Amino acid sequence: MQRSSTPSERPELPAHHQVGERMLLSFEGVTKFYGPVIGVNNISCRIGPGITGLLGANGAGKSTIIKLASGQLRPTQGKVRIGGRNAWSTSAKSHLGYSPDVSSFYEEMTGYEFVYAMARLNGFSRAEARQRTDYVLEEVGMADRRGRRLAGCSHGMRQRIKLAQALVHDPWLLLLDEPMSGIDPGGRREINELLFRLADQGKTILVSSHILVEIEQLARSILMIARGRIIASGTLAEVRGLMKYRPLVVEIVADPVRKLAALVAEYPDVQGVEVRESSLIVRTRNPAEFFAYVGQLVCSRGIDVQRMQTLDSGADAVFDYLQQGRP
Amino acid sequence: MSLLRAWSTLTVLSLRRLLFSASSMMVLLPLAGCLLYVLRRHYGDDYSQREFRQFSEFIILVFASFVVPICALAFGTASVGGDREDRTLVFLLVRPIPRALILLAKFTATLPLVMGLVLGSYWLYCRLAGEVGAIALPLYFPALLWMTLAYVCLFHLFAVTFRHSTVLALVYALFIEVLIGAVPGIVKRAAVNYYGRSIMYAAGEPAGLEPPDPRLFEPLPVDTATWALIGIAIGSLVLAILVFSRREYRDLT
Repeated sequence: MQRSSTPSERPELPAHHQVGERMLLSFEGVTKFYGPVIGVNNISCRIGPGITGLLGANGAGKSTIIKLASGQLRPTQGKVRIGGRNAWSTSAKSHLGYSPDVSSFYEEMTGYEFVYAMARLNGFSRAEARQRTDYVLEEVGMADRRGRRLAGCSHGMRQRIKLAQALVHDPWLLLLDEPMSGIDPGGRREINELLFRLADQGKTILVSSHILVEIEQLARSILMIARGRIIASGTLAEVRGLMKYRPLVVEIVADPVRKLAALVAEYPDVQGVEVRESSLIVRTRNPAEFFAYVGQLVCSRGIDVQRMQTLDSGADAVFDYLQQGRP
Repeated sequence: MSLLRAWSTLTVLSLRRLLFSASSMMVLLPLAGCLLYVLRRHYGDDYSQREFRQFSEFIILVFASFVVPICALAFGTASVGGDREDRTLVFLLVRPIPRALILLAKFTATLPLVMGLVLGSYWLYCRLAGEVGAIALPLYFPALLWMTLAYVCLFHLFAVTFRHSTVLALVYALFIEVLIGAVPGIVKRAAVNYYGRSIMYAAGEPAGLEPPDPRLFEPLPVDTATWALIGIAIGSLVLAILVFSRREYRDLT
């Protein structure tokens, strides 16, 4: 007996959509000039399955990288490949889902009509396109608002529709430019969960965002861009580890706080100590050894450390620091 | 098969968007103006050489030289330029459809729309113009068809080449075509309507139409002018496909 498919079930896709080869987005010595202005400068990286965050200030080259990867731009030098195919080529686009940062649509259409049209443009038959559209609209949480005209949709709804059109052909590579912009916290959680599910399915997801905390929560690894170059890549912890000689600011809530202040001030790698009401703010240039030292103090001097946390190891601090170090 | 489906979807989508666009309103005004002119002239049921000449000059100098390029540019530039200005072209460019096919789908949607409007309006004006209209209908029909084709292709080239293609196409249609088409010498061959007028004057002459001073107008033979229009159409379309296939549209997002 043939099983009927409901919108909540993931529709089967034609064989050509099942990609067995390397699911890699790769940049090989990519440089892009806009006339005399350089957009990205000799970038090389390989982005594999999972969620990768793309961080960078305005004008750093983030958009150029996304546009090169989505085949809207061609590199002046080097190669951009999607699963081994030239990103500019038509064949590469079968494997690509792209959600642009601009919120422009065919405004006269409903969300359903738009996503359905995009499914048809991917070559699906009417029945397949309907099935895929139903499925992705439910995935992005727009199933109940599918009949609303795009012109009357809120920014958050439009973001979800953009995400739906990027997912409708079930690509293994997703390029999402500021996908959380305008989405409320509850919606962000839903979208995050969706992206985690997609990553678990083995999809390669590149997310660009200026809200660094979002990337921190979402991305398995990070690419930091400044002035057209990759200044750091890896997990946030790995990137943080690159900054061995940068002082780390640590807050310690302890009792007695003044005794602890006196002890840590003697430690050679501590650059400064600030005593507050019940806590210390310590700047250390060797965090790993400093944490071990505090541990020893707890045991040997009977100091009650209630809480110890780093204040600047987030993505913002890492990014600011790495940018400062660039010429 | 999937490519064919994508292409046909894009054609229908483009046609629907063009039909309900501002371009439709833009072309209805001059077409309605022409209709009012024909209705007010009260052409008689009997043939009169004077009326035939007046009607022919209206068709050649107003309809073919002004209204046809306006119709062609309104839809020709909007087919790609509209998506570009609305920043929706990016949704097409990231689909697995060759760029040449995207442009051809846009062209396939635009051409029947413009042809239908131009030739349908022409048929209506001829019907309303009584006997002179009945005589004029088959005479100028081929020239209008080839001119429309050439303009639609040319304005697609404008659309893919220039960012503000509608403005440039308007400048071209209203000034370059009119000015260059009227100057003596070889320069006028750069104007599409010169070839159209060559065909139309040659077609209308046996029925009593007086052509302009041949020393100034220097008309081309009908076959040469027809092939020139076909050549402009094919050349423009091929060039548009090449430009669109290779061009980076950085301003899309």
